Amino acid sequence: MAVLEKIIETATKPVSKTVDGLYNIFLGMYTVFKNTSRDPITSSYPTKMPELYSRSRHRLALNVDPDTGEHLCIACKQCERVCPDTCISVIAHPDVKAKSSQFYIDHGLCMFCGLCTEVCPTDCIINTVDFEMSEENREDLIYDIRKLTLTQEQSRAYFQMKGYKTKREKAIEKANADPSKKPPAEGGISHKAVEAALAALGVEVAA
Amino acid sequence: MAIKDADISTGLKTEELVINMGPQHPSTHGVLRLIITTSGEMITKCEPVIGYLHRGMEWLAQNRNYVQYQALVDRVDYLAGMSDSHAYVLAVEKIAELQVPQRAEYLRVIMAELNRICSHQLSLGIFMLDLGAMMGFPFYAFRDRESILSLLEEVSGQRMMFNYMRIGGVHMDVPEGWLAKLENLINDKLFHYTDEYEDIVTNNPIVAVRTKGIGVIDPKKGLDAGLTGPNIRASGVNYDVRRDKPYSLYEEFDFNVITHDAGDVFARYKCRVDEIRESCKIILQAIEKVRGLPGGEHAQADTELKAKKILPGFKCPAGESYECVESPRGELGVHLIADGTQVPYRLKWRSPSWFPTAFVPELVEGQPISDVVATFSSLDVILPDVDR
Repeated sequence: MAVLEKIIETATKPVSKTVDGLYNIFLGMYTVFKNTSRDPITSSYPTKMPELYSRSRHRLALNVDPDTGEHLCIACKQCERVCPDTCISVIAHPDVKAKSSQFYIDHGLCMFCGLCTEVCPTDCIINTVDFEMSEENREDLIYDIRKLTLTQEQSRAYFQMKGYKTKREKAIEKANADPSKKPPAEGGISHKAVEAALAALGVEVAA
Repeated sequence: MAIKDADISTGLKTEELVINMGPQHPSTHGVLRLIITTSGEMITKCEPVIGYLHRGMEWLAQNRNYVQYQALVDRVDYLAGMSDSHAYVLAVEKIAELQVPQRAEYLRVIMAELNRICSHQLSLGIFMLDLGAMMGFPFYAFRDRESILSLLEEVSGQRMMFNYMRIGGVHMDVPEGWLAKLENLINDKLFHYTDEYEDIVTNNPIVAVRTKGIGVIDPKKGLDAGLTGPNIRASGVNYDVRRDKPYSLYEEFDFNVITHDAGDVFARYKCRVDEIRESCKIILQAIEKVRGLPGGEHAQADTELKAKKILPGFKCPAGESYECVESPRGELGVHLIADGTQVPYRLKWRSPSWFPTAFVPELVEGQPISDVVATFSSLDVILPDVDR
């Protein structure tokens, strides 16, 4: 009997192997065929812009105050110090305090780690979602302050997108949410100073 | 032998031929050069030449402070940046004795496992590409990888160079609705997609002929050579850093360590496919745990994400530590010596890709030249990880 079984096995093995192989090839082909009718997963880039997220890190830029249009950089040079690639150089204004006269970022060196945006105390330097920055010369990748600074509208859009608070919003919050710091009713110096600061920003504070 | 005898009889002789494979060979996963000496179709000698991608990651560490170097760490193994970051931050945290908040630990686990899935998917796609499946299969893997990469971009800001894990925690909490998105992706798509790979590849007789019984790694030799990860697990060695030397909060998760006994190219492929499913399971558990934390899906305070605010002037106390994690390629370790200044005194990477690269000659010598690419590709070596 054992001999007979062996003969049967020898005779059927190639057949079962062939059937098995054909089945699996057709299973694979069927799986591929199922995928032919679905929507394409690629997107044609220049005609359709990719969807980016608010945290996406691309070209660096400098914000202005969305309310007043005043440049936010205070020349503290925190970004210059933290940059691992040393691609940022800030030149402080010789006469005006807390203002930068020139600001260079070499985008050819930058690796878009986003450390400078984290240390910035005034939310001035940010990563925009603009990634189309190819140039013909390497020198053109060094952006100066004029090329880096965003317009007021752009700044407002980025402030909203990233959830930053403008100076005005911060001042309102401080005045509203912290009644303990409000001076006594007869009026002290600090209260007046706060009011004056808010008046300068054009803010009305609820009493 | 038969060929040699025939040559002598006709007065012809064969000479050994030296072939340079690489450094710009498309299937060398980076820039590796293999100097192959062939006798006819058979390989008699193989010599890997590395160093084309050397960037001096260890030297850079000694010239940058801890925060600055954190941004560079993702480049060590660019397909699994989260694992690199994880090893580095663990090493620094051990010396600085920082207690990472639970939420940050779970987020780290989620990100590292997501990154493992997309690294394995890329390796599967490229593996089939190297076997000759030029059209078709690689795009399935890349399709699925894309959906994971966009999730990672949403949370960290970039697709591959994340810079997400920080010393003492993670950079930011996940955005609104991100966890639900991830859960849907895994439940609706990733399990199904992985079944699709199996349908197309696993039982295909043509793939079986090209991969079964080829490039067999002996478990003893493999261990001696320092192989870790899926490469050695496919040879039957049951070793996984996540289970055997638990770091982060991996003790809390229930997952299987995948092992196969054959040790050949096919077993390594199968090991990776199965690991994708295990990673999916870990992520689903981690999502549940994050939701169970006080505060629910979203962190209420910064202290839930960072043990301590680490400023660029952070000084790590003097000390020495070695911390390893299970990267998609194996045991990835960081040996850090700190001397109490802002800059590491010395940092050494134990990168899991180096060991299989050195093991390639052992595997391919005596084999036909057509198996080199299949064998090398199945080891899933990433050259930036080798050269650092």
